[in-house]
Amino acid sequence: MNWLKRRVRPEQIRELSLLVLILAAIVFFGSFIDNYYSFRTFNRIASSVAIITVVAVGQTLVVLTRNIDLSVGSIVGFTAYFVGTLIASHNGINPILAVAIAIALGAALGVVNGVIVAWGKVPAVVVTLGTLAIYRGVLVDLSGAKTVTTDSLPQWLIDLPLVNVAPIGSLDIRALFMLALVIVVAFQIGTTYLSFARRFYAIGSNPEAAQLIGLPIKSVVFLAFVICGALSGLAGFMLLARFGNITVEAGRGLELSVVAAVVVGGVNVFGGSGTVTGAMLGAVMIGTLEQSLFRLGISEFWLDAVLGLLILLAVASDAVILQRLRQLWGGAELKLLAKETDSVSSEQSASPP
Amino acid sequence: MSEGLGLADGAVVVAPILEIRGVAKRFDATQALEDVSLSLHAGEIHALLGENGAGKSTLIKIITGVHQPDSGQILLGGQPVTIRSAAEAQRLGVAAIYQEPLLFPDLNVAENIFISHQDRGAVVGWREMFREADKILAELGMTLDVRKPARGLTLAAQQSVEIAKAISLNVRVLIMDEPTASLSAHEVQELFKLVRDLKRQGVAILFVSHRMEEVFEIADKITVFRDGRLISTRTRLEATPQRAIADMVGREIDLTKARTSCAQKDVVLSVADLGRQGVFEGVSFDLHRGEVLGFAGLIGAGRTDVGLALFGIEPATSGRILLGGKPVTVRTARDGMSLGIAYVSEDRRQLGLVLPMSIFANITLPVLRRYLSRLGLVRTGLERRTADTFRDRLAIRTPSVDLEVAKLSGGNQQKVMLSKWLNTNPSVLILDEPTRGVDVGSKAEVHAIIGQLAAEGIGVIVISSDLPEVLVLSDRVLIMREGRQMAILDRAEANEETVMTAAMGQRSTDSIDGRPS
Repeated sequence: MNWLKRRVRPEQIRELSLLVLILAAIVFFGSFIDNYYSFRTFNRIASSVAIITVVAVGQTLVVLTRNIDLSVGSIVGFTAYFVGTLIASHNGINPILAVAIAIALGAALGVVNGVIVAWGKVPAVVVTLGTLAIYRGVLVDLSGAKTVTTDSLPQWLIDLPLVNVAPIGSLDIRALFMLALVIVVAFQIGTTYLSFARRFYAIGSNPEAAQLIGLPIKSVVFLAFVICGALSGLAGFMLLARFGNITVEAGRGLELSVVAAVVVGGVNVFGGSGTVTGAMLGAVMIGTLEQSLFRLGISEFWLDAVLGLLILLAVASDAVILQRLRQLWGGAELKLLAKETDSVSSEQSASPP
Repeated sequence: MSEGLGLADGAVVVAPILEIRGVAKRFDATQALEDVSLSLHAGEIHALLGENGAGKSTLIKIITGVHQPDSGQILLGGQPVTIRSAAEAQRLGVAAIYQEPLLFPDLNVAENIFISHQDRGAVVGWREMFREADKILAELGMTLDVRKPARGLTLAAQQSVEIAKAISLNVRVLIMDEPTASLSAHEVQELFKLVRDLKRQGVAILFVSHRMEEVFEIADKITVFRDGRLISTRTRLEATPQRAIADMVGREIDLTKARTSCAQKDVVLSVADLGRQGVFEGVSFDLHRGEVLGFAGLIGAGRTDVGLALFGIEPATSGRILLGGKPVTVRTARDGMSLGIAYVSEDRRQLGLVLPMSIFANITLPVLRRYLSRLGLVRTGLERRTADTFRDRLAIRTPSVDLEVAKLSGGNQQKVMLSKWLNTNPSVLILDEPTRGVDVGSKAEVHAIIGQLAAEGIGVIVISSDLPEVLVLSDRVLIMREGRQMAILDRAEANEETVMTAAMGQRSTDSIDGRPS
C-alpha cells in the first residue's frame, strides 16, 4: 500500500479507473451489438474520438485556468464551413495552407473570447455562451444557409480520413486519429515540462497567489482561449475532411461532448488540476458511448442526456472520491531535522514577573 | 554590498538596505499614509505595530509593488526605485509572506518554492528542482516530501514553504505580515528560529504582528503607526509594551489585568466523556453560569472540534451532554441553536457572516422566524431596532445598521457576529479565537464584552491560541493535546508554564497522582 502511495498519485488512480470503465463499456456494448468487435467499429469510434480529443485538449487548458469555452462547437462549425467553401472554390490550394488557415481562423475567434474574458472581466460562461450564439449566427448569415458538398472538394481531402499511417496488424491507425494522438502527446509534454505552461495550473489552483507573485494572469488566460480556438479550428478542418458535406449546423452541440470529455477525464472544473491525457481518455469514453448508442438506435436526445449525466457523475465523483483518495494518501509531512541548537535564541526566556 | 555586518543587535552602522522617504498614499477620502519615512538595515528585524487601518498594510503593499505611492521615494541599496508590480519587487529582492500562506494546492511543494523564479528557464527540470527544494528545506532544518502537492499541508508547514520560497529568491528584504496569527505557540518558536537564521544571513525583515509579546521577543526595532502616520520608532531596549500600546491607540490600555470572576454555583453545561471518533475523546467538564472556561492547547489539539461537537456542526459520537441538568442530543447546528448554545467561529469570512448583506440582516438571520409578520413577511423595522440595541450594547462603530458587513473593520465584524449569536439568547456561548487578527484596542473591547456577558449569567467557553488571553479571561483552563483532555486548571494554578507543560504532553510534577509532593 505504501509502495503504491509513493508511486501513484490519486489523480492517476482516477485516470486508471476511467480506463477500466472504458473497457467495461466496450464489453457491455459488445454483448448487445452484433459485429461490435470489428475494425469498422474501431475506425468509427476513432474518427469521432479524434475530433473530440483535439478540442478537448484546448478546453483542458481553458478549464485549468478556472474558465470554460462553450463556443467551441460554433468555432468548429465556423472554420469547417469557411475553409470548406474556400477549398471548394480553390481546389488547387496547398493542403498545408488550408490547415493553417483553419487554425488561424479558429485562433482569431479564440482571441475574441480571450480578450473579453481576460481584459473585459466578464465571466467566461457568459462570454462564450454569447459567442457560441454569435459565431453560429454569423455563419448562418454569411453562408446564406448553403452547404459545402463532397463533390466540390479535391480528392486529397476526401481521401485524407482513409489514409492509414500506422497499420498495426490489420488494425488501421488513420491520419486524423494519429493527428489527435500527436497533439495529446505534444501538449502532455508541454504542460509537464514548459515553465510557461505550468502557469495554467498555478493560476487555476490559486488565482490570488498567482496575482501576488506577479504571474501574468490575463495573458495566460488569453493564451488558453487562443490555443483552444486554434485547436477548435484544426478540429473544424478535421470535421470537413471526415464528412465532406458541411452545413451551417456542423459541430452544433459539440461543446457538450467536449466538456463531458474534459470533466470525465478528471480535469477539475474549479481549475488547477487535470491532464490532457485524462481529457483524451474522457474523449475515448464519450466517443465510444456516442457511437455505440448510435448503433443501438438510441435517439440523440437520449445521448445528450447520457452525456449530461456523465458530467454530473464525474463532478460528483471528483468531489467525493478524489477527496477520499487524497485523505487516504495524506499530504506531505513536515519533519524537523535535529539541528545543532543555537545558543543565541534560548538565552532570553520570558521569566514571569 | 558591505558584508561586515554586526552580528548582534545591529551595532555597526551601515547604509540601510531599504529606505522609505516621505511616502504618502491616499485612497479616495482616506489618507492611508502620510509622510512616512523608515529605514531597514541588513540583519535587522523591524516590527511594525498599529491598529487595523493604521497604514501598515498600505506601506507593505507599496513596498511590494501592489500600490504606487502618491509622493515620496523608495530606495533599495541606496538607489531610488519604482516598484510597479509584485514580480518587480521580487526581482529587486523584496518578498512578502502573509498571514494565510498563498500556496498553489495543486502544485507540488518543490514547484511552489520555485514558481516565482522568473529566470527558471523555458523547460522545467523536475529532478533538479526536487533536489534543490530538498536542499533548501534541509538548510532550514526540515524535511518535507517535495513531490507531494501542497494541498493539505499544515499552516506551519505552509509557512515553512513560503520561507523556503523567499530564500530561494535570495531576498534582501523579507516582509512578514502577521505570519504567526494562525500558529500555535510551539510553531511560533520554530518560525522564530528560522527568522533568526535569516537575520544572521543578513536578510532585513519587516515583521508585522498584533501579538505584543512576540514583537518584543524578536524585534530589534519597533515602529508604531496610527492613522496613517508613523508615531514612533524605538529600539527594543528603549521600547516597552505599555509605551507601544499607548502610541498605537493614543491612550493607555492594559491587557494583562485578569478579569474578576462572576461564576455562579449552578452548572449550565455538563459534559461527560465526550468524543468524536478519530478526532477527540474523553472530554469531561462542568461549565457554570457566569463562568469563563478557557480551552488551551496547540493547533490541532482538538479544541475547535469539541466546540463544533457541542454546537452540533460535527456531532459527538460518544459521551453525554447535560444542559441545565437534562441530557440532550446535539446532532445538527439547529439542535445546538434551539438548545441555547451559540458558536462563534474563528473564520468570520467563511462560516460566520454574509458579507454583502446588511448588519441588521446578519444579526437576525439565525432567528428570522421571530421577525415575521402575520403575512409571513420580514418586519425590517423590528430587525433594525434589534440591531440598534446591539450596536449600543457592543459599541459597533457604524453610521447605520443598514451598512454592508463587508465595509466594517475586522473588530466590528467580530462584534456583529457576536450580536448575531447573542440574539439567539444562548445560555452557553462558545467563542473560537475571538480576537484573531483584531488590533489591541478592539481586543480590549472584546475582552470587556466577554466579561459583561459572563456577568449576565452566560456560560462562556473561549477557545484561543493566544495563551495570555486565555489566562486573563478564564476562571478555569481546560488543556487539550492530540484530541485528549490533559488537565483542567484553576485560575490560581494556571500560568503560561503549567498550561504549556500540559499542552506539550508533559505532566507537571505537582499534579502526578499518588506522588507525595
